[in-house]
Amino acid sequence: MTAPLLLAACVDKADLPRPVAQGDPLEGLAVIRQSGCSVCHAVPGVAWPKGRSAGDLAGFGAKPLIAGRLPNQPEILMRWVIDAPSLDPDTAMPPFALTRDQARHVAAYLYSLDDQ
Amino acid sequence: MNGDPGLDPEIYERFPTKGRRPRDELKTLEAVWCGPTKPWEWITAINNNFVGVYYVGAAMLFFVLAGVLALLMRTQLALPMTGFLAQETYNQIFTMHGTVMMFLFAVPAVEALGVLLLPQMLGARDLPFPRLSAYAFWAYLVGGLSFFCSLFFGLAPNGGWFMYPPLTGTTYSPGINADFWLLGIGFIEISAIAGAIEIIVGVLKTRAPGMTLDKLPIFAWAMLIFACMIVIAFPSVILSTLLLELERALGWPFFDAAKGGDPLLWQHLFWFFGHPEVYIIFLPAAGAMSTIIPAVAQTRLVGHRLVVMAMLATGFISFGVWAHHMFTTGMPRLSINYFSAASAAVSVPAGVQVFAWIATLAAGKMRFNTPGLFAVGGLVIFVMGGLTGVMVAMVPFDWQAHDSYFIVAHLHYVLIGGMVFPLFAAIYYWLPMSSRRPLSERWGKWIFWLMFIGHNVTFMPMHLSGLMGMPRRVYTYLPDRGWELPNLISTFGSFLFGLAVMLWIIDMIRNFRPFGDKEAGNLFNGPGLEWLPAGFYSLRSIPVITSLYPVWEQKGLGRDVAAGRYLLPGAPRGERETIVTSPITAQPQYLLRMPRPSSWHVWGAVFTAGFFLILTVQAYVAAVVSGILAVYCLWEWAWRLDRPHRAATADVGGGVRLPTSVSGPMSHGWWAMVITLTVSGMVAVMAGFSYVFLWSRRPDLWRAPPDAASLLITLGLLAACALGAFGSVRSLKGARPSLAAALMLTASLAAAAAFAVEAGAWWSSGLRPDANSQGATVFALLAWQGVFAGIGLLMGLFALMRRLFGLVTPDRPATFELIGLFLGYTAAQGAASLLLVRLLPGGGA
Amino acid sequence: MVLDPAGPFAGPIETVAWVLFVMAGVVLALVLAALGVALFGPRPWRQRVGAERLVWVGGLAFPVVVLTGLLIYGLSTTAKLSAEPRPGEMRIRVTGEMWWWRVAYLDERGREVLQDANEIRIPVGRPVVLELESADVIHSFWAPRLGGKTDMIPGRRNFMRLQADAPGDYQGQCAEYCGGPHALMGLTVVALEPERFAAWRQMQAQEAKPVAAPQTAPLIERGRQVFDASGCGACHTIRGTDANGLAGPDLTHVGGRRTLGAGILPNNQGTLAGWIADSQGIKPGNRMPSYPVLSGRDLRAVAAYLDSLK
Repeated sequence: MTAPLLLAACVDKADLPRPVAQGDPLEGLAVIRQSGCSVCHAVPGVAWPKGRSAGDLAGFGAKPLIAGRLPNQPEILMRWVIDAPSLDPDTAMPPFALTRDQARHVAAYLYSLDDQ
Repeated sequence: MNGDPGLDPEIYERFPTKGRRPRDELKTLEAVWCGPTKPWEWITAINNNFVGVYYVGAAMLFFVLAGVLALLMRTQLALPMTGFLAQETYNQIFTMHGTVMMFLFAVPAVEALGVLLLPQMLGARDLPFPRLSAYAFWAYLVGGLSFFCSLFFGLAPNGGWFMYPPLTGTTYSPGINADFWLLGIGFIEISAIAGAIEIIVGVLKTRAPGMTLDKLPIFAWAMLIFACMIVIAFPSVILSTLLLELERALGWPFFDAAKGGDPLLWQHLFWFFGHPEVYIIFLPAAGAMSTIIPAVAQTRLVGHRLVVMAMLATGFISFGVWAHHMFTTGMPRLSINYFSAASAAVSVPAGVQVFAWIATLAAGKMRFNTPGLFAVGGLVIFVMGGLTGVMVAMVPFDWQAHDSYFIVAHLHYVLIGGMVFPLFAAIYYWLPMSSRRPLSERWGKWIFWLMFIGHNVTFMPMHLSGLMGMPRRVYTYLPDRGWELPNLISTFGSFLFGLAVMLWIIDMIRNFRPFGDKEAGNLFNGPGLEWLPAGFYSLRSIPVITSLYPVWEQKGLGRDVAAGRYLLPGAPRGERETIVTSPITAQPQYLLRMPRPSSWHVWGAVFTAGFFLILTVQAYVAAVVSGILAVYCLWEWAWRLDRPHRAATADVGGGVRLPTSVSGPMSHGWWAMVITLTVSGMVAVMAGFSYVFLWSRRPDLWRAPPDAASLLITLGLLAACALGAFGSVRSLKGARPSLAAALMLTASLAAAAAFAVEAGAWWSSGLRPDANSQGATVFALLAWQGVFAGIGLLMGLFALMRRLFGLVTPDRPATFELIGLFLGYTAAQGAASLLLVRLLPGGGA
Repeated sequence: MVLDPAGPFAGPIETVAWVLFVMAGVVLALVLAALGVALFGPRPWRQRVGAERLVWVGGLAFPVVVLTGLLIYGLSTTAKLSAEPRPGEMRIRVTGEMWWWRVAYLDERGREVLQDANEIRIPVGRPVVLELESADVIHSFWAPRLGGKTDMIPGRRNFMRLQADAPGDYQGQCAEYCGGPHALMGLTVVALEPERFAAWRQMQAQEAKPVAAPQTAPLIERGRQVFDASGCGACHTIRGTDANGLAGPDLTHVGGRRTLGAGILPNNQGTLAGWIADSQGIKPGNRMPSYPVLSGRDLRAVAAYLDSLK
């Protein structure tokens, strides 16, 4: 039962972004909690809040696009997390005062969310 | 006058009688007391062997329902910020958990135990007012189930079981949820009071001859004190629910600070009931412990007298500790110190009982059967709850612990150790008395250990989460406060507890077989009369008691009782009857004819419950119709009482003849009326307290009372009412029934007129009930008086109708005496409340 | 945590607590020992325990002695902790509202000079008197590491003292059930060094002044306009602007607060935006409606504006 599913997952992942080098998903989760990302996004691993005003981040690693318009690549994601308006002036997502290292951890965590 | 008159104890020497009893005597007895044969007779049954079992069953049903709510809450709280239950749902559920456990489980459960056990324990055929207990039961069942069902419609109250205003006022609780609480609970309290009256009169007046107070079983003592406490404490909560409902429905500002009310008035009224309530629940359970522990240790209770004194002391002190729920409200330090000392003191009598139980276990030899395990387990848990109770009696500690999970832990230790475990001990101990098969001992031990461990795993960590800062009554909690682990453990424990209860239910289904011809019997070799062979008529004959432990110490008692060699070996007049004895020395006084099954009290209960519940959903016409139907049913019920007897005396065996009717202070009806009026008086006293309390808060709002002329008229009318009632009873005894009826009607009219004059005077003085706290309290006192005037009027009419139908005879003045008492009380209450509101502001500012 | 006190109004209670724990432990041990002897002891031991004397000694005499001692100790501690407020003490008025805390700093004459919400800043090492009131239902102020709790009751004013001996954030929460999201009515007591407190207080007294880098200024100006246009000022005050509503928390220096939504969320532009968009989803039942209609850019602008109000 599970084997074909796993296989399917692997196939899907084939041309998807690799995990971010030097990014620590656990650190990322801590940053996500501190920053309160889940006020707007439902984030797997954060029990509360389960924000409803922005996209659900479950399965984010398997998604082709960020915010529905940008390619889901580590470098872009890190920029997006730090300063989303610079990539999309119409976004509601404000800039966050994160270091590049912190953004890398966050990206690492988000890419770990690939198995639905 | 002899304070405790009755047949001389010398006649006891005639018993047990010699010789054979007539052959058909037992058959008649069985026929008279036979159980239901047709389906609907299961509902109209009034015998305690049926109603008592129904009553315990219903209470356990509510225990399970409220327990399921607890599991839902624990599931929600297992992890921080879970979404298992929505906020509003959780708030309704925790409100219902507390309310159902306190009002629909704990008090009814112990009351039910009393109804079920007392007649047999006391050697009576039944309690003196079996229809009243049946009425109380049906009102409780119908009202309680409807109340519980409000949860399924999202209409359940959500203001906490303590219902603090202003949160529960219309501003912040506009829905009918709070009304469900107020009307539902107010009315269930009435049912509790009905049961209390039954128990007091039963314990005092229907004991076996010779069962003097020093031979009164400890459980009966506990039930007596319990019932007296209900009579004193419950009026306070009845009043507070009435006041809050008046504020909600009509805008009378009792608790609204903007208009001179005070939210703390509610807290005083509620906790004046609420704290004694804890002991009200605990005492009967402690009585059961003091009965079961001697049985499992097979020895007399060590320090029996001390234990009785301790229970009495608990009863008294418990009325002086209510404000320890209010240490954080900013009370004056002097009050705080007093209540702190009283709260510490109330633990002393509990300690006396605990050590009496330990001493008893040491004096005998503990047999580790299921009732014994539950008793000892309850003892340990209760001691722990008592110790945390001493902690929170220390004010500084309470400032931290108050309203935190520490209190949740404390109260569950006290109530589960002090009431639930003893109740399970009682169920395991007494179940063989009414079931053909006992419950399984093997399962029982599993259930005990699961429950004991489950309890501690659930509630022990709560001490910690409370000290870590977790407040009570939260539907969730934030992560990262360190509360996760203790909460998760608590949730795990609660399911162990739930599993234990589930196993118990399964075992009940497997083994509980009540209402049969045969019972499992005295498996644990208990010492009380309830263990003698019995039928639905209770004991075959009512024995003369010479020992506190008759089954152990009166040799051959069971054989002689079953052979009919004691009093009332049959049904001499072919009716249900029992012997009424004097309250202190239990000397036989008269033969009480008891009612038979009837449907009037059942319908009365249904319509009474209907009245309150329909009122909640604001269908006023339907509510009034239901109310009128309820009054009609009660009228029909009363109409069938107090009928002439064929003979003035009857033979109760051994050549002893007892009168078949008495009146005045010797009669059970007189006692019941006096207790009822005590309840009313307590409501009036608490209303008077509310008036003074609110006046002291805002004397500037008070205006002058109406002029003194109306006062004199009202006082005159009240005096006429009292005199008329008194004269009526006198003229009836002087064989002038028509004059008596006329006087009684006049008296009731005078009471009604007095009410009308007084209400008119206040109204025309310009005071309005919704204007400020003076208006609210004055009109509340008036309204209370108005209710009595109204009932008095119905009674006056009742008296007249009795006369018209020729049911009034000089040798049976009981009905008139009771109406006279009621009207006399009404006059006195009217005068007292009148003088209070007229004189207290000192002529007005 | 009650057992980790951080000031002189919590410390003595911790001592009381430990005394009580020891008392309870000893008594419980004695009772269990007696019970153990009663159930399992050899016969002569059981006979000694199984006498009425045990009830007199263990049930009556012993508790009376222990309780009297405890009571004297408890009452004297009560007296120490509950002195009436004296003139000259620093006062803060805290008003419980459904489901947040209105905070006002009073001057020597008892006038409100500063408005704040959900955070109480106090200088370390100095007692502060809280005047506790309620605007609606009964609430109860509780910051466990700093002291016990005191109720906030409509129509009454209660007092309590706070003092923190070290700088830091001290969590607190409403302790009296007040309906709806009672569970999410948190607060933070922030203890600052006296000079930092004085500086904060001085800054707090000033009118709103957005702190903005040149490149974000247009966005912040847009946020101010959206704030005005959306009617936020009907409930919130921002001193120095037209916003003068009184129903909700004063936002004059909202960007300088540590938490959002009454002590439940971290405070930054992101959480501000999320709170405005869906406050009902985050804290169901609270008095602020969700504003899902704002466009992404507007929402971000408002959040940036509020965040700039340091």
